[in-house]
Amino acid sequence: MIPELDRTALEDESVEVPPPVAGFIDISERLTGFTAFDLYATGMAQLYHDTTVDQVGREAVGRFIDDLAAAGGDPDRLVDETSREIARAVTHLWYLGVWPALARSVHRALGREKANTAFTAAPEAYPEGLVWRTFHGHPPGAKAPGFGTWADPPPGAPPLARPDCPAHGTGGAT
Amino acid sequence: MNSPSLAGRRRYDVIVVGAGMAGSLVAKRLGDQGWRVLVLEAGTGTLDTWPGHLDALNTFASAVAKVPNSPYRPNAVAPSPDVLHVGGLPGGGYRASGYLVQRGALPYNSDYLRAAGGTGLHWLGLTPRMHPDDFAVRSRYGYGRDWPIGYDDLEPHYRAAERELGVAGDAAEQADAIGLPFPEGYVYPMREIPRSYLDNVLAARLDGHAVQEKPGSPHTTLRVVTTPHARNSTPHEDYDGGRGYRPVGAAGLPNYGERCVGNASCTPICPAQAKYTPLKTQAAWSRDVTLVTRAVVSRVLTTSNGRARGVEYQEYDDPAAPASVTRTAEADVVVLAAHAIENAKLLLVSRLATRSDQVGRNLMDHPVLLTWGLMNHPVGPFRGPGSTSGLEGFRTGAGRRTRAPFRIVIANWGWSWPTGSPGADVARLLGMGGDPAAPRGRGLFGAALRDELGRGVSRQFALQFEMEQEAESRNRVTIDPLHRDLLGNPRPVVTYDLSDRVKRGMAAAKAVSDQIFGLLEAEDHTAYGPGPFAPGHFRYEGRDFVYQGAGHGAGTHVMGASRETSVVDPWQRCWDHPGLYAVGCGSMPSVGTANPSLTMAALALRSSERIHRELSELRRPLTVRTAPVPEGRP
Repeated sequence: MIPELDRTALEDESVEVPPPVAGFIDISERLTGFTAFDLYATGMAQLYHDTTVDQVGREAVGRFIDDLAAAGGDPDRLVDETSREIARAVTHLWYLGVWPALARSVHRALGREKANTAFTAAPEAYPEGLVWRTFHGHPPGAKAPGFGTWADPPPGAPPLARPDCPAHGTGGAT
Repeated sequence: MNSPSLAGRRRYDVIVVGAGMAGSLVAKRLGDQGWRVLVLEAGTGTLDTWPGHLDALNTFASAVAKVPNSPYRPNAVAPSPDVLHVGGLPGGGYRASGYLVQRGALPYNSDYLRAAGGTGLHWLGLTPRMHPDDFAVRSRYGYGRDWPIGYDDLEPHYRAAERELGVAGDAAEQADAIGLPFPEGYVYPMREIPRSYLDNVLAARLDGHAVQEKPGSPHTTLRVVTTPHARNSTPHEDYDGGRGYRPVGAAGLPNYGERCVGNASCTPICPAQAKYTPLKTQAAWSRDVTLVTRAVVSRVLTTSNGRARGVEYQEYDDPAAPASVTRTAEADVVVLAAHAIENAKLLLVSRLATRSDQVGRNLMDHPVLLTWGLMNHPVGPFRGPGSTSGLEGFRTGAGRRTRAPFRIVIANWGWSWPTGSPGADVARLLGMGGDPAAPRGRGLFGAALRDELGRGVSRQFALQFEMEQEAESRNRVTIDPLHRDLLGNPRPVVTYDLSDRVKRGMAAAKAVSDQIFGLLEAEDHTAYGPGPFAPGHFRYEGRDFVYQGAGHGAGTHVMGASRETSVVDPWQRCWDHPGLYAVGCGSMPSVGTANPSLTMAALALRSSERIHRELSELRRPLTVRTAPVPEGRP
């Protein structure tokens, strides 16, 4: 049962309900080249937002957001080395599910009081890494594609006319 | 199961040390014949339940470096060597930390796993048979050691092992392409694992073409050949005289894992358990087999006349705490099945089998030379099993007189082994190297990053040249009282190097690779040099090479025809000690170029028959005959 107040909000089109971590997603779209839809679909947005804030602190994240705005939203135009390193780290996190070790100089500049080591944000983060989607692959040990699918040409590859090679589905019975 | 107080009290027919592939098969065979078997495993046994398996999958997913041991929790009390324990130095050379003490010119860069299931939990699952020539390298090719038995002696046991492991393959193709003898009409339990798209691309461009190792040397014709796997495929209806074969699925979850679904993570863990692991054999053990995990065997006990009578072991509760209780267990037969290096360590600690001075010597592996490149269109890396085919033409032949032979594995995991792809590609394109102290590059972001990764990773492929390493007495495992683990047991001290013969093989392999890349019209990205990720770097005849370890430790309790020159006899019995067997790859006098697990399994099954006979003879009812009473006496 939806409380009355919320129902009003839902019915009133003038009230926008922002999705969680919308600002972080907006930045992440620019960093990764994937759409907000793709990024939300990983289920990792909140975790990555929290991981970033936890790793570099609110102040540095704030400066990074300002710097990116000043660069017209284009991460490639980031000049400040700390902000650029944060851009690299957040992108690395999205692509692999792994928060990386930061450049030693940036680690020192941020005065971080934690070990500067790489770690996987959560076991679930690994199969959600965007890198697998860049080449139509699947993460080893997760999201198995099915028996024999590896015999099919991947997207962008020519089929092979080799009648003696069993394709999947034949059970290797050729 | 796992009732140590009970285990400590009972006397057994057989004690098996190690619950890996060889030990699990021996225990299965002897338990099925009604012998009371105690299996002592140094590591934990958390992986034989479904929740334990899921925990290992989570540990794997969380690992930043996805190496073979990464799904399996570290055990301080029964430590395992790990490939991450060996690192390269910037100017060449290596440093080693962790369990193995390394003193060789080059590192022994392989791991194993001490846990119920053993290294068979993280093996790749490839099961080629050895070539008949591999058993007689000394007499045919003038190097290394001959086996006291031949391919024909092992052939029926190969078939038995193929049944136990559930092998998928094409016997006719193996016979035709490699020259392996099979009995007439033999088929594997399951049909071959379908070839990857990459295999088919290579076959289309390479099959029938010839290459030369160097100008003037003979031509070798290339042919892509499907590799037999212990991995569930489609059961062959003709198997076993038409009785067929029922695939064995996951341990702990019925009706699951009876078909490979292409997880591309055979090493280090198959989520579906479509790949054989010793846990499947353990699940089928009879009630006469008792497994005690967290039991580190510290010594083999013998009677005054040298016969094996049992073992001393240390039982612990907490893998992180060095507190243990020492117990003994007794049996008529003791079978060491704890990995080549651990078996040698146990014999050395127990001061047994010393007569030939060969215990711990002849340590071998399959040193692997990797080459990697980009094809001119996507080839689908990271799909399906890690490798489905290979090029088999260099496994034997005249070239073997002068250089190590090799098997070429077509790797379907992109550049993950040579460069750490795709993680390393992401880091590189972002301008981040592995060293946080090094200056960063600018980095690519957004669509440019996404497109560049897609264009690059999708075209990655690699070849693995698995070199035969010959038995050399200088490559060895020793112990040193100064180096002990938390329980006070000696750590293995390894002295390892590659012979010029192996190095010449690698030079030949690189020359073959260059021609293959040419035929493929592939961009070669192979680069060898010293560095933190290249502990296996060496220079040979003015050129740089880097080798990897294959995890195929062998030779340390070498089998032979004479007690003067070998540790075990053709049945893997220690010459010096009745009732003591040392089984596993440690018995192999030569390793050929085939992945060794199938041969190890065949040897273990063969020894099981001999152990059964030995026990039967010991237990034969004594017939008491009354002496005839001489005439004329009361």
